[in-house]
Amino acid sequence: MEKKDHILYDKSGNPSKEPAWIFRTYAGHTNAKESNELFRKNLSKGQTGLSIAFDLPTQCGYSSDHSIARPEIGKVGVPINTLEDFRILFDQIPIEEMNTSMTINGTSMWLLSLYVALAEERGEDVSKLQGTTQNDIIKEYLARGTYIFPPEHSIRVIVDMYEYCLKKIPKWNPSNICSYHLQEAGATPVQELAFALATAMAILDAIKERNCFTHEEFEQCVGRISFFVNAGIRFIEEMCKMRSFTEMWDEITAKQYDVKSEKFRRFRYGVQVNSLGLTEEQPENNAWRILIEALGVTLSKDARCRALQLPAWNEALSLPRPWDQQWSLRLQQVLAYETDLLEYPDLFEGSKVVESKVKELIENANKEIQKIKEMGGAIRAIDNGYMKSQLVKSQAERLAKINNNELVIVGKNKWKEGIPSPLTNDPDGGIFKVDPKSAEQTLKVLAEVKAKRDPKRAAESLARLEEDAKNGKNLMYASIECAKALVSTGEWADVLRKVFGEYRPATGVEGQKLNLETEKVAIVRSKVEKFLKDTGARPKIVVGKPGLDGHSNGAEMIAVSAKHAGFDVIYSGIRLTPEDIVQSAVEENANVIGVSILSGSHIELAEQIFQELKHYKAEIPVVFGGIIPASDFETLKKIGVKAIFTPKDYDLMDVMEKIIDILSKAPVAA
Amino acid sequence: MKFRPEELKELIRDAAEGEKFPLAKLITELEKPNSFEFRKLLFDTLEKSDFSGNSSLTVGLTGTPGAGKSSLLGEFSTEFLKRFPEKKMAVVAVDPSSHISGGSFLGDRTRLSLPTREKRIYFRSQPSQLELGGVNPYTYHVIRLLRCFFDFVFVETVGIGQNEIEVSKLADLSFLVMVPLGGDQIQFMKSGIMEVPDAFILNKCDEEALAKASYHTLTHTLEFLRDLSPGGSVPPVFMTSVKTKRGISDLLEYIVSEKPGDKREEETLLQIRKWVKNEYGNFGTRILSEIRFPKNANYETCETLAETEIGKRFKDGSAIRTE
Repeated sequence: MEKKDHILYDKSGNPSKEPAWIFRTYAGHTNAKESNELFRKNLSKGQTGLSIAFDLPTQCGYSSDHSIARPEIGKVGVPINTLEDFRILFDQIPIEEMNTSMTINGTSMWLLSLYVALAEERGEDVSKLQGTTQNDIIKEYLARGTYIFPPEHSIRVIVDMYEYCLKKIPKWNPSNICSYHLQEAGATPVQELAFALATAMAILDAIKERNCFTHEEFEQCVGRISFFVNAGIRFIEEMCKMRSFTEMWDEITAKQYDVKSEKFRRFRYGVQVNSLGLTEEQPENNAWRILIEALGVTLSKDARCRALQLPAWNEALSLPRPWDQQWSLRLQQVLAYETDLLEYPDLFEGSKVVESKVKELIENANKEIQKIKEMGGAIRAIDNGYMKSQLVKSQAERLAKINNNELVIVGKNKWKEGIPSPLTNDPDGGIFKVDPKSAEQTLKVLAEVKAKRDPKRAAESLARLEEDAKNGKNLMYASIECAKALVSTGEWADVLRKVFGEYRPATGVEGQKLNLETEKVAIVRSKVEKFLKDTGARPKIVVGKPGLDGHSNGAEMIAVSAKHAGFDVIYSGIRLTPEDIVQSAVEENANVIGVSILSGSHIELAEQIFQELKHYKAEIPVVFGGIIPASDFETLKKIGVKAIFTPKDYDLMDVMEKIIDILSKAPVAA
Repeated sequence: MKFRPEELKELIRDAAEGEKFPLAKLITELEKPNSFEFRKLLFDTLEKSDFSGNSSLTVGLTGTPGAGKSSLLGEFSTEFLKRFPEKKMAVVAVDPSSHISGGSFLGDRTRLSLPTREKRIYFRSQPSQLELGGVNPYTYHVIRLLRCFFDFVFVETVGIGQNEIEVSKLADLSFLVMVPLGGDQIQFMKSGIMEVPDAFILNKCDEEALAKASYHTLTHTLEFLRDLSPGGSVPPVFMTSVKTKRGISDLLEYIVSEKPGDKREEETLLQIRKWVKNEYGNFGTRILSEIRFPKNANYETCETLAETEIGKRFKDGSAIRTE
């Protein structure tokens, strides 16, 4: 029988259909009990893997009873303190049958240790566990912020996990290489390729330096590397980027690391499509954006994703509801099962257009990789601030283009008039709100565990962890013992903080310029000059990111814009307490404090900020920006916040004008 | 003028007790142009209240971007607060300004982890109003004020070249912060900056071999320079690392054991000369050299006298005849 080019054949020569990719939903919040219920519902709906989001205290290595954790418990993910929380989280879920993806980085080792401890406690065969710990610490320094320790110690922890998994859990992927978050922070496709692959090479170099693997074992480690990639609205370019990744990774692994097995050289990736481009204005358009973005990673068979995770249409407004997540899941199911997408060989094989585009992306990415290599590799390029400043620069350029209308965003800077969206007419305003009482449940469980555990066993396991950390031993074993001894997340992290220290990276804003010279810029600058003339000093703004959220894009763009407008800007990066921010403002006698919050903790943090201002008897105006639902505006105004900016306030100079107007009206405190 | 004398006294009292916001307000007034009237009232009031600042040590820190001055100061302050509970320190960090919009990033806080609500430490950024690091016109007055309330005042600037000399003239003790890289030594030798500091700090000494090699290169260079100027001594070189906490204690001991210099009067005259040159040019400078200032006069007294004298010469036309 003659074979046809448009038919996909299996190994026996029969027409076939490729299996669908793994459908994932990024889920988990409130507390372990409610997350468990959500997981079981999603599994029954046809979801085939678990993708777990953890709250910020868990990601940053704090137990829920720490003061810095209090406003953040359960806000953007599930809080996990001890093994008891994992027992609750995975209750009635057969973890040995699951493919579990954990979005966890700084505390990856701890969460994997809890998972292993749970499996052993249940009498499961640990070697059968499947899944991934995200564990890409390098992108945390650049784009997401949930690092804890300095780079060299973080890498050591990652290599410990590779060593442990190779021996004990061969099907577990100890780390992803994430370019998803880089694109969310403004990375271009070339930067996404270069930075992700440079990161992968840094991990592989560290594994090689460990010098405890045979070459065959090393090849298995390479085969365990999987990537977590982004895909934006330019879906043809994104598809080409995926093909570029495939080709480059194959070449890197073959030539640089001498991997002989073709299977281990295959570029394996999961993807979450772009959220940065989702709008708060006309949010219903986001549903189409998400679909188009999904095409970028599904159209090409040779570069198709292994797992796909779609954001919800309303993510620019707040946390998605279960219904919104279901809607995203249905999109995947329709695409995979109702269309003929999976019935064809690669649609783009032999395309001159695609080949040319791929070639260009590869050339440019290789140039960028070479530049990073000359600096000494990805870790060095992080320490010297290069990679971070490149991302801030790309994001500034993107925002300038949106402001200049060079980049069309439907509903945002073009076709702005329209009928209000009925999707946000529900009583809850189309968003999810965490029940404040859910945190009490978490704290109650933690208190009970601490009261009932064997304190001697807990102390001994922590002492062993500290000793192993100092002596360079593989920390997985001590961590698993800590898990079984019912040690808490914060206790585990504090021991390692003590040994490794805590890290503060470059912010990336120094030296940035904004290519934005519109009429509005001139207007704002003239207002700033008037302020200078009237008061004798330039307006001074402290830009602060309180709490544990590390998404610093918005704060960085405001800092760069304020400088561009003529403000003196004080910006100290992420992981500040409200006390830190207010102290900066007080010592500098700032004219305004700009606070950036994306974690849903804006009300609690606002209260803390104003309490601190009261302590200093300082009446400095405060403005807020971030993901803040309109239904909370009134509450924030009552607390004292002067203005609130959300993603719809994308016009940077509009924001600066509103701020300088506030300052010009206020009686200027001397 | 914004404050009544009673209000000013209250601010001074609060600042002396370590309250940050009153102190911040006083500094803001000093940072404004045409601050003469305020300064006169402020420093007169301070003198009457026995806040002379004469026992305060001023320490200058300068070096290239990336030398790690801020992190070093952060680690230093932690050690300082722990070991000297009765002492207070302040930091003034001078940042480059943008010449296009005039705005600037005051970024040194990024690398510092300062304790909150601690009354014994105060940190203040200010733009340099110059393209490269240097000291702006009002930094001197801010330092004068901080000396009244703090045992140690650290002035941190960034840059390379002529501007660094300004810091050393304001400081009782000045440091050049370098990192273990050969290229920097060569640059610094050419710029002539090597002869300015009282001491050197080789920071980021995390890698032993590189640090030692750089240390020896630097000390040999300094010995060479000493031989070129008879009577000089080789300045100390401290090897530090925030990462490994190396050398912080030694640096702390060295700084704490230093005494403030007796060159306040000389410093005042130097600053007056600088101001006169900016305001009146060579004409003013010539007249200034003929003025005899009262002994131990403060800056505002000297400024008043200089302005009066220059105004007088200008009015009676004698200066024109001289030209």
